Amino acid sequence: MSELSYTSPLAGAAAPAGLSVSLREIPDRGMIDLRGLATDADFMAAVKSVLGVDLPTEPRTSVSWGDIKVLWLSIDQWLILSTRTKMHELLASLRGALLGIHSLAVDVSDMRVVIRIEGEGSREILMKGTSLDLLSGEYTPGTCRRMRFAEIAALLHVVEGEIFDIYVFRSYANYAWDFLLATAREPAKITLFGQQPAPV
Amino acid sequence: MSKPHRLSTGGRFIDRTKRIHFSFDGKQLTGFAGDTVASAVHANGQRVFGRSFKYHRPRGVIGLGSEEMNALVGVGDGVRHEPNLRATQVELHEGLIAVSQNRWPSLKFDVGAINSHVSRFIPGGFYYKTFMWPQALWKHVYEPIIRRAAGLGKAPEGRDPDTYENIHVHCDVLVIGAGVAGLAAAEAAAATGAKVIIADENPRFGGLADISGGTIEGQALPDWASVKASMLADAGNVHVLNRTTVVGHWHHNFVMLFERVADHDPALLAAGVPRHRLWKVRAGQVILATGSIERPIAFANNDRPGVMLASAARGMVERYGVSPGSSGIVFTNNDDAYQTAIVLKDAGVGVRVVDSRSRAEGALPNKAREMGIAVDTGSVISAVNTSWGGLNITDVKVASYRKGQGRVIKEAKVACDFVAMSGGWNPALHLWCHNGGKIRFDDTLQTFRPDRHADAIRAVGAANGTFVLSNILEEAYAAGSAAAKAVKPEATSIAVSVPTAVQADEKPLEPIWFAPATGKYNEGNKHFIDYQNDVTAADLELAQREGYESVEHTKRYTTFGMATDQGKTSNLNGLGILSEATGKTIPEIGVTTFRPPYTPFSFGSVAGPLTKNLFLPIRRTAIYQWHLDQGAVWEPVGQWRRAYTYPKAGEDKHASIDREILCVRNKVGLLDASTLGKIEIKGPDAAEFLDRMYTNMFSTLKVGKCRYGLMMNELGFLSDDGVTVRLGDDHFLMHTTSGGADRIAAWLEEWLQTEWTHYRVFVTPVTEQWSQFAIAGPRARDVLAKLEPSFDISHEALPHMSFVEGKLGPYPIRLFRISFSGELSYEVATPSNFGLGLWKDILAAGAEFGLEAYGTEALHVLRAEKGYIVVGDETDGTTTPVDVGLDGLVSKKKADFIGKRSLEQSYLKGPDRKQLVGLLTEDPNDVLPDGAYAVRHVKDKPPMEMIGQVTSSYKSPTLGRSIAMALIQNGRSRMGETLSFPLPGGKVIRAKITDTVFYDKEGAKLNV
Repeated sequence: MSELSYTSPLAGAAAPAGLSVSLREIPDRGMIDLRGLATDADFMAAVKSVLGVDLPTEPRTSVSWGDIKVLWLSIDQWLILSTRTKMHELLASLRGALLGIHSLAVDVSDMRVVIRIEGEGSREILMKGTSLDLLSGEYTPGTCRRMRFAEIAALLHVVEGEIFDIYVFRSYANYAWDFLLATAREPAKITLFGQQPAPV
Repeated sequence: MSKPHRLSTGGRFIDRTKRIHFSFDGKQLTGFAGDTVASAVHANGQRVFGRSFKYHRPRGVIGLGSEEMNALVGVGDGVRHEPNLRATQVELHEGLIAVSQNRWPSLKFDVGAINSHVSRFIPGGFYYKTFMWPQALWKHVYEPIIRRAAGLGKAPEGRDPDTYENIHVHCDVLVIGAGVAGLAAAEAAAATGAKVIIADENPRFGGLADISGGTIEGQALPDWASVKASMLADAGNVHVLNRTTVVGHWHHNFVMLFERVADHDPALLAAGVPRHRLWKVRAGQVILATGSIERPIAFANNDRPGVMLASAARGMVERYGVSPGSSGIVFTNNDDAYQTAIVLKDAGVGVRVVDSRSRAEGALPNKAREMGIAVDTGSVISAVNTSWGGLNITDVKVASYRKGQGRVIKEAKVACDFVAMSGGWNPALHLWCHNGGKIRFDDTLQTFRPDRHADAIRAVGAANGTFVLSNILEEAYAAGSAAAKAVKPEATSIAVSVPTAVQADEKPLEPIWFAPATGKYNEGNKHFIDYQNDVTAADLELAQREGYESVEHTKRYTTFGMATDQGKTSNLNGLGILSEATGKTIPEIGVTTFRPPYTPFSFGSVAGPLTKNLFLPIRRTAIYQWHLDQGAVWEPVGQWRRAYTYPKAGEDKHASIDREILCVRNKVGLLDASTLGKIEIKGPDAAEFLDRMYTNMFSTLKVGKCRYGLMMNELGFLSDDGVTVRLGDDHFLMHTTSGGADRIAAWLEEWLQTEWTHYRVFVTPVTEQWSQFAIAGPRARDVLAKLEPSFDISHEALPHMSFVEGKLGPYPIRLFRISFSGELSYEVATPSNFGLGLWKDILAAGAEFGLEAYGTEALHVLRAEKGYIVVGDETDGTTTPVDVGLDGLVSKKKADFIGKRSLEQSYLKGPDRKQLVGLLTEDPNDVLPDGAYAVRHVKDKPPMEMIGQVTSSYKSPTLGRSIAMALIQNGRSRMGETLSFPLPGGKVIRAKITDTVFYDKEGAKLNV
């Protein structure tokens, strides 16, 4: 019998070239989809006992604690991010702590591709695919939000000022990647509301 | 010299040190950097640009910018050719190729011009009147001929080599138009710190400032405009967009901007810059500073090449240093056009003014007279005479005129070779009207102005009917700050003081909707209203006489105000004609609707990057690349691509499908079933919830066991099916059809969130977490054993419909012993990133047992041989579980479930329902077409009484004959009957009704 063979969604995809920003797949992120009731104090406490941090209840926000991040997805759904190696242990602890408490924690590490786009002008590139106003003050580090991106569903996470992670269902990985390769090309770079040559 | 020509000096836009080579209709010409195709062609002595739409009359440039409706040219070569561009907007670049349109065989001699001579026989509504009968001829004879004769440029063929983009942008204030008013409004808005976008269709900001005269704070208008433009471009909170046409305005200030990023510079295109970019802007406030468009005057033969708007003649001299001819007439009803006379005179061009007003005593007319320009007041042009073919103006007739006068009494010939006309100025209201803005008629200006609007939009400057410079500035600065404050009330407002302006006072115009001509004006003397659509004053009057009283009906009947021009120059003149014809006032007549786009924009910009591989999202399983490498034929399933079959060298599809089927029946096959929907369902009420969602019972399912379930909608019709496994007391994993994955997850959530809110159940779709494969065939267990399972796989330990979680070698897996083929079969699921690895290991492990991959067509034949239904094949949205013979799966015990009550309805229990049966054709080689109808009696031709239809039909290599399933009226009580299926072409296939299970009826092969 052979070794365990691991293939991330974009393993065979075209490498980025000639882009105005950096683009890469994060191939080894551990992810847990957690469902539960924020109004259930037992649930909230049990989760905190494992994660070390309260689940975010403010829409479109996230919290982090060490190498764990928790993204708010809806009023009763969160996406817990960690390293892939830590994920199994975390999931087991969560399920243990949540025994008898109405909840559902599922390993979804392989369900989505994670694409990181980084660099000045990233927001403009994303705005070629989404109608969100990424230049408004709303999209501060930590913000997460589901969006329609080009023709598909995606989850946007503002990691830092000009660093973004986009989560897309695995089957659409190549579509999202190819869309970004097309729109992030250096000659297509655009800077909104910046200094421009005078149209005279 | 009676040709347009380049003047020895002047031309603010051109750089005489940069000579540009281009071609027009194959002729090599030169121009200067800064020229448009219109100005450069004029500079080369030519003014004919094309033939008109209907009469094929020669036409030249009328306007200065986007209002141009005549001089439409095709630009570019081969796949980069673009038709119907306004020559006045196309910037010249080295190597540009332009061609005229709608002429055959050449510009100078055009066969279609015969239309002009028979024009009395092709009045308004001609096509409607003439080609009514016989109807059959319309599609194949009349329409193709008319389309070739009428119409504009040709679309390019072949793939577009360039790239295009969309972008979504939000701003506080969007200023449309960067003339004096737009620049002032943008400055005021930007001063508050608001995010401002200012867009203008021209390469340079400033609008018509450069030809309007006057000063602001002592600066000439163009200098003031360029200072403001630079200031805005530098500001960090302003985005300036030139070469960008705002094409449409929709609800809540959603505005579409069409940016021509690289058309003007082939080097940009070569570098890969997107050719066009479509901006989808959501603006808090919109300021409309679109300026105004000069209106032509309806006089006889006012379409001759050399007749142009006064602003166009002025612009040609001032911007490009081109004279429209050697001697011209300025025909006006207002003071503004005197500026054109003054500019022409200054440039050394012969000029005379014909003014329809009885008095012209304003500052500009007086200045003109002082310069020695002859001014004929109370006069009109009553005719334009040309050389043969209408190509060159030789002279005009000038007649005296009083308002209301119908006939020309006396006229005099005046030699000239061009005419600059001005009937006043119309605010450009198109964008105001796109989303329902109201307009009102202004008696002083004799034009429409903006009135109410439901959106946060305000018009300033000429677009608002404000033409006096100091008023424009006051209004625009006020609107800019007010708009910014409306969006951001908290913003600290920095007051921008309104600069003082000086401009010549102008006396009011007097409207002239129609200049009388000698003789009857419809006899060769055409007064064109809508040049682009070849609609004359006579056509509009005829429409009135024929009863088209509503202006909207007149528009459709005559085509006035339609097409790419959208009535920019024609609208008001047409209304003026209708007003005089009917005796109603213009507001009583009403206006036609302005529709987006303001000017045409490219399909490329609409598509943006979503072409080729991005045209449609394709969903890939983790095994996609392997399928591709094997040369799989694809089957689209929703957005998924699934392997349909894997032909080997020398095999056709039928051969490979047969091989795959027999491999499963005799040995073992491997199927990528990852697309199946997978939903985790957990909670104290999960079992009860599933009892309600499915027709059959799930609360009795034991942990570790699988059960096939049927799902109905509220109407009792089948909507999905699949196997659900119980993972724990309160925890289930549901499988749905591939196409139903998203729909069923949403369906479950909907019932939980809106109807049964008391249920404590969570539903999490996990379809893509898992790669799932079917290992099916008599040797399936042998293959599994080779894969080093961490659990007992014996029939006793793992019987049919059981489930186990564990490992295969190093791979974490979930294993379901379920079958959709009737063979011993396991479905194995592993996290998707391990999918490809496990798939390859299974292939390797199965090699010695003859394992091969099989595709979706083999899957379908295998299941049909067993009589297993596919929701969507055997069901059509009106099919119940009883219809397909699955009443056994409809619980009699459960208190309630979705669709239960509906099944009790009389018509669903009625006697004539179509029921699912099997079919065996009399000739085993006949394969019934999918969807073939069974009829009660075969007749020579339809209609025949239909009693049912084929739902699935295949050639079964297992049985060596064709098999089919069908929904047939009372099918189950007709076992053994033979039915007739007439096919197109006359052949009738006869088939006997049988049971739906064709293979292994006792199910022995499942339980081994």
